[in-house]
Amino acid sequence: MLALKNIRKSFNGTDVLKGISLKVNEGDVVTLIGPSGTGKTTLLRCVNFLEKPDEGEVQFSNFQLNYSHAKKKEILRLRRKSAMVFQQYHLFKNKTAIENVMEAQIVVQKKTKKEAYENSLELLNKVGLVEKKDYYPSQLSGGQQQRISIARALAIKPEILLFDEPTSALDPELVGEVLNVIDQIARTGATILLVTHEMSFAQSISTKVVFMDHGEIVEEGPPSQIFNHSNRLRTKEFLKHFTNNYQKTTSL
Amino acid sequence: MFEFNIFAQDFLNISTVIPSTLALALLILLISIALGGVLAFIEQKRVFVLWKVSQLFRSFLRGTPLLVQLYLAFYCLPVVLQKAALLAYLPFNQNDFNPVYTVIVAYSVHFAVFQSEIIRGSFLSVGYGQIEAAQASGFSFFQTMRRIIIPQAIIEALPNFFNSYLSVIKSLSLAFLVGVVDILAKAKLESALNFRYLESYAAAATAYWLLCSIMTYILGIYEKLIRKRA
Ligand SMILES: Nc1ncnc2c1ncn2[C@@H]1O[C@H](COP(=O)(O)OP(=O)(O)O)[C@@H](O)[C@H]1O
Ligand SMILES: [Mg+2]
Repeated sequence: MLALKNIRKSFNGTDVLKGISLKVNEGDVVTLIGPSGTGKTTLLRCVNFLEKPDEGEVQFSNFQLNYSHAKKKEILRLRRKSAMVFQQYHLFKNKTAIENVMEAQIVVQKKTKKEAYENSLELLNKVGLVEKKDYYPSQLSGGQQQRISIARALAIKPEILLFDEPTSALDPELVGEVLNVIDQIARTGATILLVTHEMSFAQSISTKVVFMDHGEIVEEGPPSQIFNHSNRLRTKEFLKHFTNNYQKTTSL
Repeated sequence: MFEFNIFAQDFLNISTVIPSTLALALLILLISIALGGVLAFIEQKRVFVLWKVSQLFRSFLRGTPLLVQLYLAFYCLPVVLQKAALLAYLPFNQNDFNPVYTVIVAYSVHFAVFQSEIIRGSFLSVGYGQIEAAQASGFSFFQTMRRIIIPQAIIEALPNFFNSYLSVIKSLSLAFLVGVVDILAKAKLESALNFRYLESYAAAATAYWLLCSIMTYILGIYEKLIRKRA
């Protein structure tokens, strides 16, 4: 469970997040959609303090933090509650696929190497990449790297998984394999906060869709409401851009 | 004309100082890397006042020839140490001071400036994305450094450190001027005995060239190994 309360953030005097409150219940898949430059990435980065919000509160099931006076220790604790999948994967280049998945288990969770290894094999199996376990990131395709980075995120058993446009950097033919993996994880009951421009995917996977524009939440609701029955002009305007490839890119 | 026998004899004699030259250069390299690390840290973190001093220092070291720095150190260092020893009531005689220490100090400081730039560049090469990925997984600053940044920075920096090692070896030929015997100095001593200058300098050149070629070859193997990953 994740609850954000009144998150504000400005860069050089420009308000990028204007008081965002958002709740993701356990087992929910909440998808953030909205135009570029709206603050979706910034919001995700605020959750784990990669960006420091000017104001606001965050709450997990048994942890709460006010961003404006967070101490180092609390930030570390906060970060261990969530895991992030980046648009550009950001795998550790000096480590093999399986070492990438093992790393946080060893460093942060203090598991033994053997334990971490076995757990990582299982996760690589889940994302369908066991046979690539000894490859370095540079030897893998973008889609494979992103699947490894999903396994890495799962490895720390986070309360919530944060995905920031996980398929935007990929060649079109590689998008499907990554969406498949995310879909499969969602089915296992993981709690997910996802930013994506894959609208048909958002519609099929989400329990809730949140439309953001100019640093504010314009509208939120079940996918059928947002995609088919929205009566908000800004939402409809935005979705119009996607109607063309809406049906075509059914990637599953 | 060119006497091959004399050349061969000179080359053999010069070879005897190769190990000590290599060792001296290695010592200088290691000290300069440590100093360079400190400089890079001070300037990156903008440590109070020190980073201004460091910049001044850098500008001086880049703006004056190594030979001048060596002479400065040669005339200053023993005097400064003598004064310091007096203050601390330690026995010290500046006339017994081995000039090899002067060479170590002057060269380490001179090369530290280059090392600090190598170190800075190698850290930057790791890229911010991986650092954020580590932080997002809950790594502390030191865990990120130790597990992610430093291992990659070292791989990136090694070829450059290797090249500086070659520079140090070649620059040590200047150390003759303060009385430290390296490859070139040995060649000078050889030719002083028999006045066969061409042979002894040719022998010195061959020794340098061989050394550098062997090292470059080793470096090539290393780079091939790491290119597999990058
Ligand atoms: N580190 C930063 N410094 C300055 N401005 C930033 C920074 N990060 C994001 N912004 C600005 O904040 C706004 C929102 O960016 P972002 O969260 O990336 O939007 P989105 O992910 O919705 O496309 C943009 O106008 C962007 O230029
Ligand atoms: Mg974004």
